Amino acid sequence: MLSFFAELVSATDEDRRGFETHPVVIDAVANGMPLERYRALLLELYHVVWHFNPVSAAAASRIGDEHIAVRHFLYEHMHEESGHELWVLNDLEAVGVAPEAVRAHVPALHTLALNGYNYWAADRRHPCSVLGMLYALEVIASVYGGPFAAAIRESLLLDGDRGVSFLASHASLDTRHMAELRQVMNAVRAEDALAAVVESARVNFHHFTRIIEAI
Amino acid sequence: MIFKPAIGVAGLLGRPYKTIRLEWSSDLRLLRVRTCVRPIQCYSLAAMGELQQMLDDISANPGLVRHFVMSSDVPNVFNFGGDLALFVLLVRAGDIDSLRLYGKRCVDLVWWMEHAANLGVHTTVLVQGDTLGGGLESVLPFHKVIFERRAQAGFPEVLFNLFPGMGAWDFTIRKAGFAVANEMILSGRLYSADELHYRRLVDVVVGDGQGEVAIDTVVRDVDPRHRGTLAALRAQRMAAPIRYESLLAIVDLWAESALGLTDRDLRLMERLARAQARKAGGAADGAVEELKLMELEAAWGDRRGRFDRRNVSNDRRVRS
Repeated sequence: MLSFFAELVSATDEDRRGFETHPVVIDAVANGMPLERYRALLLELYHVVWHFNPVSAAAASRIGDEHIAVRHFLYEHMHEESGHELWVLNDLEAVGVAPEAVRAHVPALHTLALNGYNYWAADRRHPCSVLGMLYALEVIASVYGGPFAAAIRESLLLDGDRGVSFLASHASLDTRHMAELRQVMNAVRAEDALAAVVESARVNFHHFTRIIEAI
Repeated sequence: MIFKPAIGVAGLLGRPYKTIRLEWSSDLRLLRVRTCVRPIQCYSLAAMGELQQMLDDISANPGLVRHFVMSSDVPNVFNFGGDLALFVLLVRAGDIDSLRLYGKRCVDLVWWMEHAANLGVHTTVLVQGDTLGGGLESVLPFHKVIFERRAQAGFPEVLFNLFPGMGAWDFTIRKAGFAVANEMILSGRLYSADELHYRRLVDVVVGDGQGEVAIDTVVRDVDPRHRGTLAALRAQRMAAPIRYESLLAIVDLWAESALGLTDRDLRLMERLARAQARKAGGAADGAVEELKLMELEAAWGDRRGRFDRRNVSNDRRVRS
């Protein structure tokens, strides 16, 4: 029998490909981005990353002992992700956006939709749906983050990881995260939880694609 | 999901495919398949699923299709092979199940081609552009392989510390011999259509733009002798059989090797994926040019390595 992670990869492959093959993403990975658009992307990313841990915490608070492994995984994961929104803040500062401007920025509708869905899914759909959010966002970071960071570095003539530290570091950091995520997902057995994870991964790929499309 | 076979030509052509386009010529009972996995033409899971469904439909309608012809709808690209981003994801997740599953799906496609003659189907493939790794593997089991002269092909996997695991060894050895398989797979270099023809991996090379005429010639040549040709081709494959178990065992080895790829290897794979994205975005240079660059870098690295080793051994001699 196929593991759940393998089923998730298959079930969401077209959604992942939908992100990867979107003309804006293709262009960004191939050629980087003009400075203004990169700033706009980081501003949205800041608000996605800011909500990463609160969503995980909301989910963890609702996960009972039937999924204790997932809850404990979330504790560890939140600890590791703690403060990562500050990396985005630093990157924004490196490309000329002051922290006050970042905090004053009103997220785009697609960002609100992404964050809103993730809170709603953790609260109303199934708390394990948070694993779908983690999967989609870590796939984006670990598979596409590296090439995208390289393209941005080249197009904006950035020095080292300055201005791309969040993207570049997550490309390698999330390698371990992906393996851990696979293990915890494969331990989940309940059908409703698994369905919620697949739905959440698909919605996260969808909204993240729209965020990049709109900037 | 339960497979419900399509009935007749209308059923065969009536499925809502996204990555393949089908045409039917009733006079020759010829099914023409054009692949169009846009914007990056590769064997994605969806593309393989659709191809397999179409092949299963042919199997479920014995005697309906006499000629199967495949080509690419994407200009200058036949197929870039595996879905590199998916590989990176699965390797990073350490997911050997999915790597094996991906490999098995590829093997099932080439296995159908290998046994197409048993179903009364003669297969022809036209390659008009670049075909890499799994793209080339998918071409080899066809009965007739036609390349336009501009097309280039090769197995670049060794450049990022992997090997082609979905039939390259078996089919290349059978068609071109052990030495050619060794040379092509272990070098990772790209070959022109004429070089592949010289090595007997390609049956016919025609000028650019002459591929369609070549298909027509092949099909009309085979059609009057269809039954005899297929019987001969079945006998040919009995004489030099390829075993499904062997293909799957190689997939297992491939999946295990893929899990051992380092971050550097994955970065090379990502570099190739980025080059594919550049080409898909309209740039003149793409994966083939990037591979040539990687070949050069590898060659320089080797030379530098040899030079360094020589220096080290000279140094040791001096010291001793």
